[in-house]
Amino acid sequence: MSANRWLATGNYFTSYREEQRIFFTSLDRTAMALFILGLFLWPFFIDVGNKYMLVIDNILIAVIAVMGLNLVTGFAGLISIGHAAFVGVGAYTIASFARVFGENHFLLSHAWPVMILAAGAMGAFFGAIVGLPALRLKHLYLAIATLSFQMIFEWTMKFMDFFNQGQTIAVGRVFWLTGEVSRSAHYIFWYYAILVLIVLVGFAVRNLLRTRYGRCLIAVRDNDRAADAMGMHPGLTKVYAFALAGFLAGVAGALHAYLYRGVGVESFTLHHSINYLAMAIVGGLGTLPGSFMGPLAIKMLDMQVEQLSEWASSHLAFAANLATALKPLSFGLVIVLFLMFEPRGIANWWRIARSYVKLWPFRY
Amino acid sequence: MSYFFQLVVSGIVVGSIYALSALGFVLIYKSSRVLNIAHGQFIASGAFITYALTVWANIPIYISFPASMLATFFLAMSVERVFLRRLIGEPIISVIMVTIGLMSILDGLIYLTPFGAENFSFPPFLPTTPIGFAGVSISWTQLVGVVTTFSLIACFTWFFKKSTVGISMRAVSDDQLAAMSIGISVPRVFGLAWAMAGLSAAAAGGVIGNITGLNFDTLHAFGIVVFPVVILGGLDSILGAVVAGIIMGLIQQFASGYLDGHWGLSGTGEVMPYIVLLVILLFKPHGLFGIHEIERV
Repeated sequence: MSANRWLATGNYFTSYREEQRIFFTSLDRTAMALFILGLFLWPFFIDVGNKYMLVIDNILIAVIAVMGLNLVTGFAGLISIGHAAFVGVGAYTIASFARVFGENHFLLSHAWPVMILAAGAMGAFFGAIVGLPALRLKHLYLAIATLSFQMIFEWTMKFMDFFNQGQTIAVGRVFWLTGEVSRSAHYIFWYYAILVLIVLVGFAVRNLLRTRYGRCLIAVRDNDRAADAMGMHPGLTKVYAFALAGFLAGVAGALHAYLYRGVGVESFTLHHSINYLAMAIVGGLGTLPGSFMGPLAIKMLDMQVEQLSEWASSHLAFAANLATALKPLSFGLVIVLFLMFEPRGIANWWRIARSYVKLWPFRY
Repeated sequence: MSYFFQLVVSGIVVGSIYALSALGFVLIYKSSRVLNIAHGQFIASGAFITYALTVWANIPIYISFPASMLATFFLAMSVERVFLRRLIGEPIISVIMVTIGLMSILDGLIYLTPFGAENFSFPPFLPTTPIGFAGVSISWTQLVGVVTTFSLIACFTWFFKKSTVGISMRAVSDDQLAAMSIGISVPRVFGLAWAMAGLSAAAAGGVIGNITGLNFDTLHAFGIVVFPVVILGGLDSILGAVVAGIIMGLIQQFASGYLDGHWGLSGTGEVMPYIVLLVILLFKPHGLFGIHEIERV
């Protein structure tokens, strides 16, 4: 055990157990506890209004989805170009329940945590099915198999009457201990609900990566033949990685359905799949902090660009084309620049900054 | 029965366009193992350059068509030089994401031009009365499109079989180290593969633009539809791209011809290629003509 329990300037591990801890110093633990506490408390002091609360809720939902994508693409190394479809599976689980039993059915409005879990289970089921080809396919062929799942999902939703042909299916308001969640409290209520889920899921993923099942994923990514020789089952691991990603995506989809009180296919298109991939990459593939920073960065960028293009289209008459062009241009530039100059994402900046502070005044 | 033959004919027309689009895709994959998701944008820009030269600059189409092929030749080459050259040796996911980023950037650039928002169509330069034969009809543009496509594919095949540059490209796709040791510049071959892909994309764009008209959404959708085709044929086989292109064209036409309107189905032509793709992947994971890679630890 190191002498200084607040600041560790180096590795003093004497057992594997110590190396596997979640928090290395008590400072880490305190900082994390304060940070989470801050996330819960700030809405009491600052009123951001419903418009921005919706943006924040959106970012948090994207965090859950990207955490799933990061498990399958970042940790297990299986490229998924159909993640939005899994999110859609979760959302449509809620929607089809609402369509069959009515949008204000008791289970839907009172037992919403159960419904969210059920949507996650549905996502996991579809994830495992799409992961099945991974038993035989590798790399690009697998990526395209996920792409075709995305296309088939979009088609099914657009052309089946049961799913209202891709038009919005309404989902009712939910109840909490104090009664029905009112219109004004809707976004703040879901902020807390999603936040609690994120804290749970975040620690679950962090813990998963410490167990043999999580380390299995990384071993299969690095070399699946070698992992096979070490006694792991690469095929099963891949299917299970897809199922995990599908579960988190399904949960994110259910939250999306409840937050918007409706589900339409236009929120789960190929474009959104690409967006999730971009978030994972900008945040940092294969890192847990990256799953938080990526969605934050991309959604903030989106918001800024939207404001800029609104301003451009209202002030510059000739720039009507510019307004539509700005979004894809900036999005593409951000991805390309990150991949060319910082392929390890924002999480790497975070790592560098942390180690700088930790080791100060020494350089290394 | 004539309905059946009509579907066969239109399937072959659509399929040959798929084959030409898939060709550029396969060229890039074969030499540099890059999956170019921005291929649809190259097709679109090829079509738009052809239109701009023909209509706005008043150049006859038999000159503007090759000229636009030349333009995308250099466009694709510079894209490779600026963005892809740095990423040689990086993991696949980075390379795929760079092409996705490129797709977005090219989208943005195209939205800046009038083509992003409006539809255009080429002025007819061929007779507009379709050729009819025993109840089956094919329009002149379609016929010329198919002929152009197949002659281009023949040119490409000749290029890879006989010319020195083509043989060096095949050498690189076979074994990069061995190719380097006999004095082939691998980066230059990568650049050339992209350039050739750009060239074939412009050709495909010109043909599609003449048959269906210029609409950005339709044109860049070809970049996605091409995936089932290349997977069916095998990602690294030119012959596979041609055969699979025709097969997919036929499947699509038959699906929308016979399935739509029955059992409440519609738009099956869009989704059928992907369903077929999934089934094929389960039985032949490397496509019809793809090379089965042997992996070692």
